[in-house]
Amino acid sequence: MLSNRFIVKIGGESGQGIDSAGRILADSIKNAGYKVFGYREYPSIIKGGHASYQIDISDHEINSSSRNCDMVVGLSRLSIHKYLFDLNKGGILIHQIEELDLTKEEQDFVKKNGVQLVYLNALEIVQEIGGSRILVNIVLLGAIWEVLKLPKKYIEDAIKVEFADKPDLMKLDLIAIHEGANRLKNANLETCFNDTKPEKSWAQSFLTDGNESLAKGAVLAGARAFYGYPMTPATSILTYLADWQKETGMIVKQAEDEITAAQMTTGSSFAGIRAFTATSGGGFDLMTETVSLNGMTETPFVCVLGQRPGPSTGLPTWTAQSDLNLAIYSGHGEYPKIVLAASDAVSAYQLMQRGFNLADKFQVPVIILTDKQIAESVFNVVHYPKPLQIERGLVDAKGLNKLAPEDRYKTTTSGVSPRWLPGQSPATFVANSDEHGPDGSVTEEAEEVLEIFEKRMRKLKSIEKELKEPDLYGQEVADISFVAWGSTKNTILDVMSYLHTKKLYRKMNLLHFEEIYPVKTQKFLDFVKKNKHVILVEGNYFGQFGALLKQKTGYDFKEKLLKYNGRPFFAEDILDYLKIK
Amino acid sequence: MNDCGGCQPTQLDDFLGGKVKVNDYFSDNPLNWCTGCGNYGILAAIKRALASEQISPQNTLLCYDIGCNGNMSDKIQGYRHHGLHGRVLPFAAGASLANPNIKVIASGGDGGTLSEGMSHLVNSVRNDYNFTFLLHNNSNYALTRGQASATTRVGQKMSGRSEPVSIPPVNPSELVLSLGGTFVARTFSGDVKHMTDTIRAALKHQGFAFVEILQSCPTYNKATPHTWYQENVMDVCDIKNYDCTNYVQAMKVVDPMEEKIAIGVLYVKK
Repeated sequence: MLSNRFIVKIGGESGQGIDSAGRILADSIKNAGYKVFGYREYPSIIKGGHASYQIDISDHEINSSSRNCDMVVGLSRLSIHKYLFDLNKGGILIHQIEELDLTKEEQDFVKKNGVQLVYLNALEIVQEIGGSRILVNIVLLGAIWEVLKLPKKYIEDAIKVEFADKPDLMKLDLIAIHEGANRLKNANLETCFNDTKPEKSWAQSFLTDGNESLAKGAVLAGARAFYGYPMTPATSILTYLADWQKETGMIVKQAEDEITAAQMTTGSSFAGIRAFTATSGGGFDLMTETVSLNGMTETPFVCVLGQRPGPSTGLPTWTAQSDLNLAIYSGHGEYPKIVLAASDAVSAYQLMQRGFNLADKFQVPVIILTDKQIAESVFNVVHYPKPLQIERGLVDAKGLNKLAPEDRYKTTTSGVSPRWLPGQSPATFVANSDEHGPDGSVTEEAEEVLEIFEKRMRKLKSIEKELKEPDLYGQEVADISFVAWGSTKNTILDVMSYLHTKKLYRKMNLLHFEEIYPVKTQKFLDFVKKNKHVILVEGNYFGQFGALLKQKTGYDFKEKLLKYNGRPFFAEDILDYLKIK
Repeated sequence: MNDCGGCQPTQLDDFLGGKVKVNDYFSDNPLNWCTGCGNYGILAAIKRALASEQISPQNTLLCYDIGCNGNMSDKIQGYRHHGLHGRVLPFAAGASLANPNIKVIASGGDGGTLSEGMSHLVNSVRNDYNFTFLLHNNSNYALTRGQASATTRVGQKMSGRSEPVSIPPVNPSELVLSLGGTFVARTFSGDVKHMTDTIRAALKHQGFAFVEILQSCPTYNKATPHTWYQENVMDVCDIKNYDCTNYVQAMKVVDPMEEKIAIGVLYVKK
C-alpha cells in the first residue's frame, strides 16, 4: 500500500461510459490541485466484458499505477467481484446491486479488511431525473466526488467542458452529479484521501495520453503525411491526426493494409515530405520488407511500433515490451537502422521529433517503440519541452546545381551521401532496391558491391556517435540499481520517490535507455561497475534488452524482474520483488 | 466521335523540336532485355511521350516494380525508384500526394500488379490517385523465368505448374473500368506511335490514368507475339461515333469476346 497516494477505480462493462467518466474525474481532480495518473484496462470487444479506469492521485508526480485501490466503483455486477480483492484496508466499494451476493471468501475479505460497502441505486436516480441508462456513470461520479470532499465546482466545470456542445445533456449530467453526491451525504465514510494536500498551481497542468502527445510531436517535427491502418494500441494516432487535419493541413490517410501504409509513407518520404506510419507487432511484421527497402535505397523512414502482447493476435488491448527484437532485426539483409523507445507522453512527443531528425540525417529507417501503457494511459504534464530544430539533412540550395547523378550514393567517410529531392536538380538518380552504384544503376560487380555496402555500413559508426547515452536517475552509486527501457521507467521512478519519503528509505538508482539501437554502452559499463546490486526490469520473457547489452558488452544480468502477462509493472511488483512492505 | 486524346498522332517535332527533347532521357547504361522484348518499344514511347509533353527529367518521377519492367529503371533519365514487387502503386500514390508538381509515372507487370499487388490496384482505382500507371502485360512472370500470371491464357504450359493454365485470365482493363477507373486505355508494345499517343493522353489526365500495354515476350509467350497483336487489335479511333465518355460502350468494347482487342483510350470519366 502506497501512502501519499489515493486510488480510485471505476469498473464495469465496455459501453457503460467508464472511459468518459474516468476522464471527467481525472480532469476534475487535477484541477482541484492533485497529480493524477490514469490507467485503463479494457477487453478486445465493443460492449461487455471488464473495463476499468483507475486514477492514482497524489501530491507529487506519479506516472504509474498501484496494483490496489482505495475506492472501487462497480458499474456492473461482475466488476464488483473482480475488483473487490484489489481494495486496500478500509477501502470503499460503491455499487448499484440491491442484493449483493458475496461469496464466503468475499465476505471474509470485507470483514477482515474493514471494506466499506455502499449501495447506491444509480439507475433509479437516472430514471427519476429522466436520463438515459448510461447516465448511471455520472451519478456514480457524483458519489465519488462526495467521498473525496472536494469543492463541487471542479467536477461541475469538467462536466460543462465535456458536454459543451450538448447543453440538454449537460443539464441532466449536472443534476446527476448533484443527486449522486446527495445520496452519500450521510454515508459517514472514512478515507485517507484528505491526508493528501492539494497544490493550486497544479491546475495549470494538462492531461494527455501517449498517443496524443506522440501525434503532437510528429506535427511539431513537420510531418506532412501520416498513413495508417487501425491496430490497437496505435489506432488513436490516426484518430488524433484525422481530428486535427483541418488545422494542420496534413495528409492523413487510412490505407487498405499495413504494407500500403508503409509504402505510401516511403513514397511521400522519397518525394520529399516528412511522413510516418504507426502500427503494432502484427502490422509491423507486414511492413518489414519495406524497412529493408528503405535500408537499401537510403530513404528516411519513420515508423511507430506500439507494442502489445503477442504472439499473433495476442492480447490486443494489453501491454508488453516484447517487440524490441522484432524492431531491431526487422527487414532481411544487413543495413543500419535506428530504434528509439518512448517512455511516457513527454518522451513520445520528443522522440518523434528526434526520430525524424535521425531518419533524415542518416537516411535510415527509424523505428519508435511505444506500448499500450504509454499510448493509452493518461499522463499529467506540466508543459512540453521546447521543440527540436528540424534538421532535414538535404543538399542546400546553393549545392543543387552542382550535383551529378553519381553524388546520390557516392562513397563518403561518414557513410552518408548527399540527398536531394525529385524536382530539385537536373541531376537525376534512381533509388534502386537492387544493389547499385553511386547513381543507383544496378551493379553485381564484386568491387562495386563491396564499396557501396561498406559505405552504408559506415553509417553505423556515425549513428553511434550521434545517439545519446542512457539517463541516470538517482545517484551514481546506490544500494539497489535498475536498468530499464520504455515505460517501466515510470514504475521504478515512482517507487524510488515513494521510498525516498518513507522511513523505509532505500538508496536506489535507475539507468534508463531511450535511444536503444545501436546501443551505447559506456555509461552502462560504468554503472554496473560502480553498483553492486543491479536488476534488469523488462516487460517480456527473454529479457530482450538485457540480451542486447550482453551481446555488446558481455555483461550478464544476475537478476531480472520480468513481466509478461499483459499488465504493466505496478509499484507493488517492485516492492514485492525487493520484499519491502 | 468523342476523342479522349488518343487519336491525334504525335509528330516528330513534338519530341525533337521543343526545349525538352527525347534524347534528354537517354542513359548510357546498355539495355539488356531479350531480343524482341516489348520493353524496348515501351521505353521509346515513354521517352517520346514525356518529351512531347515538354516534361523534363528533372520533373519526372518514374516508379518501377520488380520484373522485366523494373529493369528499365537505370536505362532512362528522370528521378526513379525501383521498389518492391507488387508495391509500386502505393509507393507512387504516396509520392504523387507528397509532391503534386512532379509527374509521377508508375510501371508494373502483370505478375506484381494482378497477384502480389492486386489489392493495391483496386485501391488505386478507388482512390483515383493522381498518377499514370503503365501495366506491362506480357502474360507471364518473365524475370523469374516464365511462371503463369493472372493474364496467362488458358491452356498454356508454364513453369512451376504440372498442368496447363485452367483458370480464365483476368482482363485488367475491364477490372479497372468496372471499379470506376477514371481513365482506361490499352495499347501494345509493337506500335511505338500508338503507345506514345496513348501515354500522352494518360499524362494529361487528372486522376489515376491506367494504361494496359499488351507486351510481347518472345522468350516465354510464343502464343501472342507482336505480329499476332497487329492482326488482332482494333483502334477505337476507327470505330465510328466511339464515345470514350460512354461507360456502357466502353464496357462492351473492353472485353474482346470473339472479336478484336480494343486499343486506344477506351474510357475517360468526365
